[in-house]
Amino acid sequence: MATVKLKIDGREVEVEKGTNLIEAGKKAGVFVPHFCYHPGLPVVGVCRICLCAVEGRPKLVAGCATPAEEGMSVVTRSAAVREARAAVMEFLLIHHPLDCPMCDKGGECTLQDYTIAMGSAGTRFSFEKNTWPEEDVGGKLILNKNRCILCLRCVNLCKDVAGQDEIAVLSRAEETYIGTVGGRMIENELAGNIADICPVGALTSKDFRFRARPWELQNVKSVCTLCSKGCNTNLGTHPRRNEVVRVTARENMDVNQWWICDRGRGQFTQFHAADRLTAVTRRQNGAAQATAWTEAIPAIASALQGVVSRHGADAVGVIASAELTNEECWLTRRVFRDGLGLANVDYPARTQPPVVYPKFTIEGDRNPNVKGARATGVAPGTGGRSVADIMRAAADGTIRALVFLRGGPLDQFGDAAIAARALDRAELIIVVDATPSPVSAKAHWTLPGVSSAEKDGTLTNSAGRVQRITKAFRRYGDAREEWRILQDLGRALGALSETDPDPERIFDRLARAVPAFAGLSYAALGDQGAPLAAAPANVVVG
Amino acid sequence: MAIATFEPVLTKTVQLPDSHTLGVYKKHGGYEALEMALRKSPDEIIDVVKRSGLRGRGGAGFPTGTKWGFVPKNPGKPKYMCVNADESEPGAFKDRLICAKDPHQLLEGTLIGSYAIGANRAYIYIRGEFAAEAAIMERAIEEARNAGYVGKNILNSGFDCEVTVYLGAGAYICGEETGLIQSIEGKRGEPRLKPPFPAVVGLFGCPTVVNNVETLACVPHIVKRGWEWFAAIGTERNTGPKLYGLSGHVAKPGVYEAPMGVSLRTLIDEYGGGVPNGRAVKAVIPGGASCPVLRGDEIDLPMDFDSLTRAGSLFGTGTPVVMDDTACMVRAAWITARFFAHESCGQCTPCREGCGWLQRILWKIETGKGVERDLDILLSVTDNIEGNTICALGDAAAWPARGFAKKFKDEFLRHIREKRCPFEGGSLH
Repeated sequence: MATVKLKIDGREVEVEKGTNLIEAGKKAGVFVPHFCYHPGLPVVGVCRICLCAVEGRPKLVAGCATPAEEGMSVVTRSAAVREARAAVMEFLLIHHPLDCPMCDKGGECTLQDYTIAMGSAGTRFSFEKNTWPEEDVGGKLILNKNRCILCLRCVNLCKDVAGQDEIAVLSRAEETYIGTVGGRMIENELAGNIADICPVGALTSKDFRFRARPWELQNVKSVCTLCSKGCNTNLGTHPRRNEVVRVTARENMDVNQWWICDRGRGQFTQFHAADRLTAVTRRQNGAAQATAWTEAIPAIASALQGVVSRHGADAVGVIASAELTNEECWLTRRVFRDGLGLANVDYPARTQPPVVYPKFTIEGDRNPNVKGARATGVAPGTGGRSVADIMRAAADGTIRALVFLRGGPLDQFGDAAIAARALDRAELIIVVDATPSPVSAKAHWTLPGVSSAEKDGTLTNSAGRVQRITKAFRRYGDAREEWRILQDLGRALGALSETDPDPERIFDRLARAVPAFAGLSYAALGDQGAPLAAAPANVVVG
Repeated sequence: MAIATFEPVLTKTVQLPDSHTLGVYKKHGGYEALEMALRKSPDEIIDVVKRSGLRGRGGAGFPTGTKWGFVPKNPGKPKYMCVNADESEPGAFKDRLICAKDPHQLLEGTLIGSYAIGANRAYIYIRGEFAAEAAIMERAIEEARNAGYVGKNILNSGFDCEVTVYLGAGAYICGEETGLIQSIEGKRGEPRLKPPFPAVVGLFGCPTVVNNVETLACVPHIVKRGWEWFAAIGTERNTGPKLYGLSGHVAKPGVYEAPMGVSLRTLIDEYGGGVPNGRAVKAVIPGGASCPVLRGDEIDLPMDFDSLTRAGSLFGTGTPVVMDDTACMVRAAWITARFFAHESCGQCTPCREGCGWLQRILWKIETGKGVERDLDILLSVTDNIEGNTICALGDAAAWPARGFAKKFKDEFLRHIREKRCPFEGGSLH
């Protein structure tokens, strides 16, 4: 790749040919302000806040639209540049409302930040401001045109990334506005990204409106678990309320660039579902009763061992889960396959129609960790049964005990009628889950697990990239992370000898034991993840 | 130069009956230049136009031959010629005359220009309000096609050129060359970032030349009569004949043809018959609303690109608007500002916000509500717009506002002091 050398405010920097002055500035450590420019969107050059001086050019140039050239000398700190930027700030603010205190963007608003950095405290505009009513534009967004600075990021995201013209620039001159066309609403599933990239509070998320101030939130770096893409996210977490109040996109150029889909954006509602399972529950003679972990784990271990000793290892089926982390998948395999010697271990496939946008795809595989489950050996052993076969065998009485590491709708386990018969007939059903399902309704033991936002761990996406999730809030009631549950059960069954205090230790142990993970360490995964090592990710190990 | 000694070139036939028809055009030597041009190489044509000194008549005065020379020879894509007939700046109405009365002259120039740059398709972009002219233009193209001047293998030369009329939707900004291109592409009329320039990336991403109507109308004459003849008209760096659209407080407003460099006073007094009712010239906007105003005592100057620039104004399209001493300069400034505020495309911040602000300040002063600080803010806003925008519309709004405020500062201050417009009942009210 050809590079060019240039100077920005006297700092020499070498960049790829074609790099614009904003990006070159970033590399040189010189911040060039920008509203309309976004590295993931086409350059429109309209906001004019990135004006820079280039030696030898009579006029200021837009940094976003000016490619770095060999020997170029760029100045961003001259009086002319300062004045031009102050002028643009003043122009942007003449009709902008002073409603920061009640604006959702306040605290993470580019216009607010720049106003503090380079704007004026007063106004010279002595006229009435233009005002517009607020409106619902679909896509879970509310449009407040009073705050809009017409940077066109929203329009270009819809057009360029989602391939839709649901939102457009309308009218002209100072009456120019952003709006939906012909009464149509925004329907594409990437629209939530608009709330992320809107540099002001013009397009805000209906889900997040008035729920918290940005400065109250901690952005916990995580990964979406709604499909196998593994989009990097920030879980906007309110520590005092012990609650994730929003999910926003986190940049990862190897995975999701700057975007996430609206399903993932809405995942926080699942974390805090009203019907979360919070108690260890034992059901006897149809009556459910809360109990304690200390009672449940040994009881479950001995019940499982009892079935194995009375009817053989083939009488137990484990419906594992590719929603669980790599560590949990590995523990699943060690506890049930290696420890109890079961062959009937499998996880249900969960699919959906993929949604393909020009620059973003929502994957068809809903399991976030299929590659990890496969690589750690969550699969039927020799002569072992698949999920559907396990349910069939349970329905006809061959399998007597079922362990579910995630529940779910019955058709997820093959034929729903067969699954229902299996649940009716099995003499021992154990389920680990965070929310109730037809499985937990029938289970003899219900162990409350957690969502992906309540634990640390790693997931391997469909491209074989291992990425970390991070605990954002304290778990509900008696709920416990699945890696803890599996470790406890494993030790009670005599399948495990160690007790690791956290997923980091488990992962590092796993990386030493499973060839596909060779060379990886939890710490080194960082917040951008790393690809599975030498072994192809879909090779079943063990 | 006195009126009598100059023989009209561009308007030679416009007063004849049926001047817009092919018959009349051919009777006066029409399409002979095209025949001559097609026997020469495109480079020869570009060279002749370069030597003629022809500068674009759309306002910027860029040398036409040089512009044509920027077009790549073998880009591996189609090339396009776009004719800018979106004449819509207040004061400008010269191109309309050619479109209505001598469409074949424009068409012949368009065909020669297309041949010179290697374009097989030309678009004539006509202002939306010029529906009648567009119809005349369409008929002219049809006549020319039937006569073998438009279409395949023109005059057996092997050169093909289709010409299409494209009617705008009434936006001044589509007269900006990249706004015009966007509009033909069916997009919002918004100027593009430059570079790249249209000569390299223009219509449909292909090399494109955008020329003004009058510019192209000059071309057949240059080809036919030689660059030396053309260069001998006018002044050294401002050659050829020019259409001056004279309006405002003159006895005989209209389009007049005279050489480049004719004196503004001559234009007003001799061509336009002077200011009626024995009144004095108070101010002249020399070349369309974007050009800074001149005071009545500044009009003894040649009407050409360089002289007007030296005088702190602009030649623009060479279409002076004359105002007598009953005209209020604040109101004139406001009318101008209102136009640009209305016509800003709205995409870039300084123009979108600044033009509306200028209009508001001017109205505030005009209606007697202004304070002295408003004048400072006005000037400061013009400074803040100028040079910071994507296209020249922002500049075009800033220049006249600043021009009026500086040239007629006393009048602005009088409005502020007297808290009313001293010219109520005047000619602009």
